[in-house]
Amino acid sequence: MRKIKLSLGILATVVAILTAVSCKDVKKEHNNEDGHHSEMSSEGNHMEMNSESEEHHHEDGNHDHDEGATTNVREIEASTQKNGATSEIIDSYLLIKNGLVNDDDVAATKGGKALLAAFSGFDMSQLREAQHKEYMEISESAKEHAEHIVKSPLEHQREHFESLSTDVSDLVALLGTDKTLYQDYCPMVKASWLSETKDIKNPFYGSKMLTCGTIKKQIN
Amino acid sequence: MKKHIKKIVFGLILVLIAVQFVPVSYNQSETVLDSDFLKTYQVPEQIENILKTSCYDCHSNNTNYPWYGKIQPGAWFMENHIQEGKSELNFNEWANYSDRRKKSKLKSIISQIKNDKMPIFSYTLIHRNAKLSEKEKITITEWLLKLRDSLN
Repeated sequence: MRKIKLSLGILATVVAILTAVSCKDVKKEHNNEDGHHSEMSSEGNHMEMNSESEEHHHEDGNHDHDEGATTNVREIEASTQKNGATSEIIDSYLLIKNGLVNDDDVAATKGGKALLAAFSGFDMSQLREAQHKEYMEISESAKEHAEHIVKSPLEHQREHFESLSTDVSDLVALLGTDKTLYQDYCPMVKASWLSETKDIKNPFYGSKMLTCGTIKKQIN
Repeated sequence: MKKHIKKIVFGLILVLIAVQFVPVSYNQSETVLDSDFLKTYQVPEQIENILKTSCYDCHSNNTNYPWYGKIQPGAWFMENHIQEGKSELNFNEWANYSDRRKKSKLKSIISQIKNDKMPIFSYTLIHRNAKLSEKEKITITEWLLKLRDSLN
């Protein structure tokens, strides 16, 4: 009898632990609960399928473009088109950059949120047909990085900032800017970032290696 | 006192039985899409095995469920993990990602493996064979790095 009680006790503890561990997830579950039946999930799958085939279609339709677009990293020209439409995106990117320079993950998170807002507020109607596909790819990728920056600790923010920098640089190359920017290069991580100041302030390492890097290019 | 304990244990068992009836959607699919990672590239067998054993359970449309995956509350726990895993990276839909995203995904995969963030600890704790040895980590990250460079 005692043995049974003991094993029941262990079972209860295990259940309690499992419940506690999955507590966060369960909460999420509750939010979805109204629609959480198998029909709902199959509906979700359908939607996924749809967007998939759309993407496919999109890619197929622009096959000729692809060849040109696969070039490594698009070079930013020293004097780009003067385009103010990208300002909000660039400003938000710089907020993240400056957050990381100061080892301030909270500031970087704010910048990430601002960047998400800037992308969803971007007026795509001004894009030329030829720019559309690349803009969509850049925006999709940049938003993904911004989302991670919003929810991650400092070191992980930096990882995503690296890829985000490629996206924003490519965006500047594609659409231009009326701002004066500097494209800086960090030989340690072999990656570039954009800055609004001439002084090198390295966002990939922050205070650990603040002045590591070189200016590769001045834009405008 | 003894009675109380009995009641609590009895109550817990009842709850445990009751939650078994909450429906869960399983991540299972017979068809492998043409966009699958393993169909997109010529993947060496060793790499394919690592991916299938250590990654595909949460990063594809088909999970190989362990026994506790069908029992609550384990099933909830797994369902959420899989949903999150798939939204970050779904190997079945690899070819549908733009080149830009492919490159950034590869970068993230490599860094997650190198930093022992993936496969996630709560998964390898039970799936001992999913844990990557140091040698496997080098094999797969080097291969993925080559793939990433070839995408430029």
